[in-house]
Amino acid sequence: MSRELPSLETETPATPLEERLVAYLDGELDAQESRAVEELLSRDPQARETLERLERAWHLLDALPRSEVGDQFTQSTLEMVTVAAEDEVRREAAGQPRRRIRRWLLGMSGAAAAALAGYLAAAAWTPDPNRVLLEDLPVIEDLDEYRQIDDIEFLRLLHKEGLFTQEAGDEG
Amino acid sequence: MAITESSGERRALRDPDVRLMLEVRAGSAAAFEELMLRYQNRVVTVLEHLVGSRDQAEDLAQEVFLRVYRSRHKYHPDAKFSTWLFTIVNNVASNALRSQRRRREVTVGSTPSASSAECLDSMATAPSGQMPARQLDKAEMREVIRMALASLSERQRLAVLLCKFEEMSYAEIAEAMELSPQAIKSLLARARVNLRQLLEPYLQHGEFPGAGRKSGEDRPGDAAGPPGEPASPPTPDT
Repeated sequence: MSRELPSLETETPATPLEERLVAYLDGELDAQESRAVEELLSRDPQARETLERLERAWHLLDALPRSEVGDQFTQSTLEMVTVAAEDEVRREAAGQPRRRIRRWLLGMSGAAAAALAGYLAAAAWTPDPNRVLLEDLPVIEDLDEYRQIDDIEFLRLLHKEGLFTQEAGDEG
Repeated sequence: MAITESSGERRALRDPDVRLMLEVRAGSAAAFEELMLRYQNRVVTVLEHLVGSRDQAEDLAQEVFLRVYRSRHKYHPDAKFSTWLFTIVNNVASNALRSQRRRREVTVGSTPSASSAECLDSMATAPSGQMPARQLDKAEMREVIRMALASLSERQRLAVLLCKFEEMSYAEIAEAMELSPQAIKSLLARARVNLRQLLEPYLQHGEFPGAGRKSGEDRPGDAAGPPGEPASPPTPDT
């Protein structure tokens, strides 16, 4: 009993003919290749014999038993999967607050960015009240005196002659 | 579950397994149970022939179904469900067999157990006193075939099982085993040549080739072997 037989890792190579015959038996050849094999089989008895032996050995495998599991297997597998599903749900639930905080932070950052953008846009498009105040400062400073002048036309004349802007320029 | 048009939806409509898996993906426990009931025997059968133990096959099958559940969101209905399932079977079995090999390496030094091919050989050469001339009964023949299958390489065995039991095409087997269809073609050809050589002595008359001979005589398979063929169990060309 010292004869060496194919072990798990050694493989007997198949000849190209055997490879074609096996593919033919498995219905893996296209119509043209199948016709070529059939022609070969019709004229080569040795090829026919090889095919028959391959086929007979293959049919023997039909005798191999098929496993049938019991209810116990089904039950315990489903229980395992149920436990896995519950774990998954628990993990998801545990991960939810973190996700909520992340979502909240994201939302808040978005809102802050929107607010900043809004402020910048408003600043760009609306007049600066300080600038208006600065412009009117020469008048504001002497407002009491100007109020004593009843003639608005006289004041307009002074303004036209650049009195107020001149004063602002002198102070600036 | 939003299956958007295309081949996925068309396949889902045609293939009830794909439809069930899409329901599993959407969270249906009933669909998962239905899929399991459809496939559990097939998965255990393939695994039992791969690892050679019923108990281990059932443990591995449970792992397979657990992975199916955990990977449900990764499932796309582009391939047949069975192809996807047997890709998982292939991965789980490969891992288990790799671990087995490692354990075996660690325990080297103990008496090596006889390989399946050697067992076949021993059955064929059993002395006549122990093995009277008679037809093999079904159980014995099954055992011979099981051992012949077990003596193939792991890859050959899986390819044979998927081709024979699952009736998968070369393309589907290639997908499940993550090889090219051409590699599967070669693998299956080698497997079938090996099987033919291993089973040749039993093919003719279903008899133990050694029946009626005395121990130490010519290899009994010589008598039973077909003309023109070496009657002994195969010797690898490699």
